[in-house]
Amino acid sequence: MPIRLLFRNLRAHPIRALLTAGSVAVAVFLVCILDATVRGFTAAVDLAAQNRLVVMSNVSLFVNLPLAYQQKISQVPGIAQTCKFQWFGGSFKQKKGGFFAQFAVDPENFQTTYPEVGIVDGSYEDFRRRRDGCVIGKDLAAQYGWKVGDTVPLVSALYPRGRDGEEAWTFNVCAVYEARVRSLDQMTMYFDHAYLMEALDLGAAQGQKGVGTYSIKLADGARAETVMAEVDALFAGGPQRVKTTTEAEFNRQFVSMMGNVPLLLRSIGGGVLFAIFFAVLNTMMMAGRERTRDVGIMKALGFSGGSIAALLVVEALLLALAGAGIGALLAKGVEGPVARVVSMWAPGFAIDDRVLLQGLSIAAVVGLVSGMLPGLRAARLLPVHALRQEA
Amino acid sequence: MTEPAISITHVTKTYQRGGETLRVLDELDLQILGGTFYALMGPSGSGKTTLLNLIGGLDHPDSGDVVVGGDSLTSMSAGELARWRADHVGFVFQGFNLLPVLTALENVELPLLLTPLKKAQRRAQAERALELVGLTDRMHHKPRELSGGQEQRVAIARAIAVDPAVVLADEPTGDLDRHTADQVLELLQRLNRELQKTILMVTHDPVAAGYAQKAIHLDKGKLGRIDDNRKATVTAGH
Amino acid sequence: MASVPLSYNLRSLLVRRGATLLTVLSIAATVAVLAGVLCLQQGFATMQAEHGRDDLAVFLRPGANSEGESGMDLERAQILLKETPEVQKGTDGKPLAAAEMFLAVSLPKIDGGQTNVPIRGVQPATFAIHGDALKIIAGRNLTPGTDEIIVGTAIAERIQNCRIGDQLVLNVTPFQVVGIFEARGSYRCELWGDVDRMQHALQSPNFNRILAKLEPGRKAADLNERLKDDVRTPAKVQTEREYLIAQTGKLSGLLQFIGWFLAVVMGIAAVFTGTNAMLASIGARTREVGILLATGFRPFAVFRSFLFEAATLGLLGGLVGCVLVLPLDGMQTGTTNFDTFTDVAFAFRFTPRVLITAVVFALLLGLVGGALPALRAARLLPTQALRRT
Repeated sequence: MPIRLLFRNLRAHPIRALLTAGSVAVAVFLVCILDATVRGFTAAVDLAAQNRLVVMSNVSLFVNLPLAYQQKISQVPGIAQTCKFQWFGGSFKQKKGGFFAQFAVDPENFQTTYPEVGIVDGSYEDFRRRRDGCVIGKDLAAQYGWKVGDTVPLVSALYPRGRDGEEAWTFNVCAVYEARVRSLDQMTMYFDHAYLMEALDLGAAQGQKGVGTYSIKLADGARAETVMAEVDALFAGGPQRVKTTTEAEFNRQFVSMMGNVPLLLRSIGGGVLFAIFFAVLNTMMMAGRERTRDVGIMKALGFSGGSIAALLVVEALLLALAGAGIGALLAKGVEGPVARVVSMWAPGFAIDDRVLLQGLSIAAVVGLVSGMLPGLRAARLLPVHALRQEA
Repeated sequence: MTEPAISITHVTKTYQRGGETLRVLDELDLQILGGTFYALMGPSGSGKTTLLNLIGGLDHPDSGDVVVGGDSLTSMSAGELARWRADHVGFVFQGFNLLPVLTALENVELPLLLTPLKKAQRRAQAERALELVGLTDRMHHKPRELSGGQEQRVAIARAIAVDPAVVLADEPTGDLDRHTADQVLELLQRLNRELQKTILMVTHDPVAAGYAQKAIHLDKGKLGRIDDNRKATVTAGH
Repeated sequence: MASVPLSYNLRSLLVRRGATLLTVLSIAATVAVLAGVLCLQQGFATMQAEHGRDDLAVFLRPGANSEGESGMDLERAQILLKETPEVQKGTDGKPLAAAEMFLAVSLPKIDGGQTNVPIRGVQPATFAIHGDALKIIAGRNLTPGTDEIIVGTAIAERIQNCRIGDQLVLNVTPFQVVGIFEARGSYRCELWGDVDRMQHALQSPNFNRILAKLEPGRKAADLNERLKDDVRTPAKVQTEREYLIAQTGKLSGLLQFIGWFLAVVMGIAAVFTGTNAMLASIGARTREVGILLATGFRPFAVFRSFLFEAATLGLLGGLVGCVLVLPLDGMQTGTTNFDTFTDVAFAFRFTPRVLITAVVFALLLGLVGGALPALRAARLLPTQALRRT
């Protein structure tokens, strides 16, 4: 029956219980999202393909490598496949903030180099055949309402068309893909690099010739370090020196570009925790103070200080966990939309078990400590003081 | 059954109040006989409530010994006292002191949680206690739905639920009107007569004191006198 | 209508010291988080905005949003440099206009990792244009036409091989660091070299922008109108200040978004806390409320009084929150400017805007949180209130 007492005490002040649980819910919601975002930054590194390398200019990400390099690279032993990978920098002007990633690739080699791209609609064959074809991600298709067969106009900042650079490139949606691994986002468009070069050659557009990076798929049994060193040595004398890294390393540089943003997010999480800790503690101290007389009665009846403290601790824990549960559910509920918003920076954003567990544990700790403080006070209270009797 | 149930030997208790040291009980010696209904009287500040608290194991004397039913309270730790209280003593306060969030029945059941009784047995015993005080029909009501007199009777039921040898009452009728007070006092008398409970009742009301068998008078922390109260046996007729 | 004396509320807060402290701390933590993010955003935004000049114009390829995206071939650039009458002439009679190259190059940081450093290829005119705003504070300036480079103060401290006398290899060409310069805004985060030598070393044949000093009275907007549809030399022209502000969009926007998202979400939690605190506080004072009402204070006066108390809690929380964040002011940090993809170092700045935003936010929190409890108190009947113990 102490359990009944516990629930009665909670029900005696329903608004207070709700508000306290509510603030814990908010805090856990935030903590889960922040945590998932920070983890999402590095997911691309942690889950990078082990058997892929990236070749880029040693000087700058923004300098292209000559097209002729691809032939030479593919002749290095240990390489199963190479694929061009060029950032397009386009935007969809018809929709505000219409910003997503586009890459020009080799349709012939793309699928074998990136097997995690799974076609779920349309035809990859069409993509290989049509010069102006493209493959778009599921989430991208959903967000803009594009279907197989649609024409997508994009204006590129890196490859401007027309005199004022505002003329649009048109792409035909040939297929839709979904990601077979977590580190790949579903918001990207892939099209034919030859389409790009053709327009530059014809003078219809301006921009750097060549390719930003080449992706390499290692053959089975090949050693990454050996291949990396060989490719770098190939072009040591120029005209463009290269730097070959593992895909994980390549992704890491984008993460480190984040600089202090992860730290910032973590600090915010810390601040949130403090705010919530004080809030729950406040509630429990108030509850403890209000029940001073009850504590005195129970002690007079013979209940031990420990059992009375336990009641307060369990009460705080219940409030905290109830709030945490709601917060976790809310976080899970917005997982989809938030993942899409942050997919550019944190492709691995996911409210997974680890994130949820962390949120719940934090709430539990807050509850425990918030209950222990008034609990200790109650345990040490002398019945005579609690009942405030006259001499 | 007239050996001393409670033995107070050379007990001194002082308090600090605003920088001053007050000697509330001064080398008090007192023997209380088992199965007797006592009134504990004296002017304000004479140490009545303090004495009650000492006997009930709610407080420790500064010096001297308190023995209740053969148990020496002064040698017990706080934890041991708590356990001892649960089995041996029942309290009735002036302000009733029921837990507002529990029903009458649940309030009476509360001390029974400290016994090894099972749920069904606890229930039964609590209902019996309520029956004894005549409040069976109100057992599922919360304190705020009860009148003052009813609350106090529930408190009494709670006090006897574990069948303690001693019942300690601190101004139990202080907040009640005359008629309700009489009912409560009669109840206490019955408990003493029918169940042989030792009852100590602090009061400053001579009418209330009239219901007891003996009256202990304290003066400045020492024992004044003990009166025999013939009138106590003549209570019927109201 | 008579007001309940303010001292009553203030004393009540003091008496319930523990609860008041915890509530204030809770609100303070919320405000501190918001203020911290705002300080970051303000530091970034002000760094850019306060150092951009209105008398300098930046010429880009039409449609380009930043130097990185912009590309100008030599021919067009030369024409613009020589034949733009709006450009002021220097003491030597030549136009104060320079064609510059811009590229973000990956270099190793002193404390590990790589970062994108902005490298600018400049012409002699560039220095004439910047004038006194650019000072060589160590070593000497680079000699045009050579493989010498000078580095901004922020670079010297953060990037490897950037001290005077060091050799930095770009692509296959070694460059000598001969000097360190101090400049305004984000220029101090850059590495400068001769534009022709840079173009050669980095295999980058085009210029990225033209920087020019305008004749007094000439406006960049007018120039833009004239050149944007020009057949021979189309260009997008802005003042340097406008250009810099446009470069802060993404990061600034991200920080603001984070700030407001947090404000809303944590604000809700803070309101809950405030309401709880006020409910408990008023609940314990039911009798006092009854006395106030019985004495003759009108319900609205009671409402106003408790609202004031709640607002005070909020205000205190806001001030404490600002105090908590104050130590951040001036703290250096760095991240990537998502518009230019280059590393940018800046400091947290606790501006008046941060203070005002934080305090107003906190006040609102207090008011919203205290509304319900204050309403409850005002609607008590004196008889009810006095009966409850």
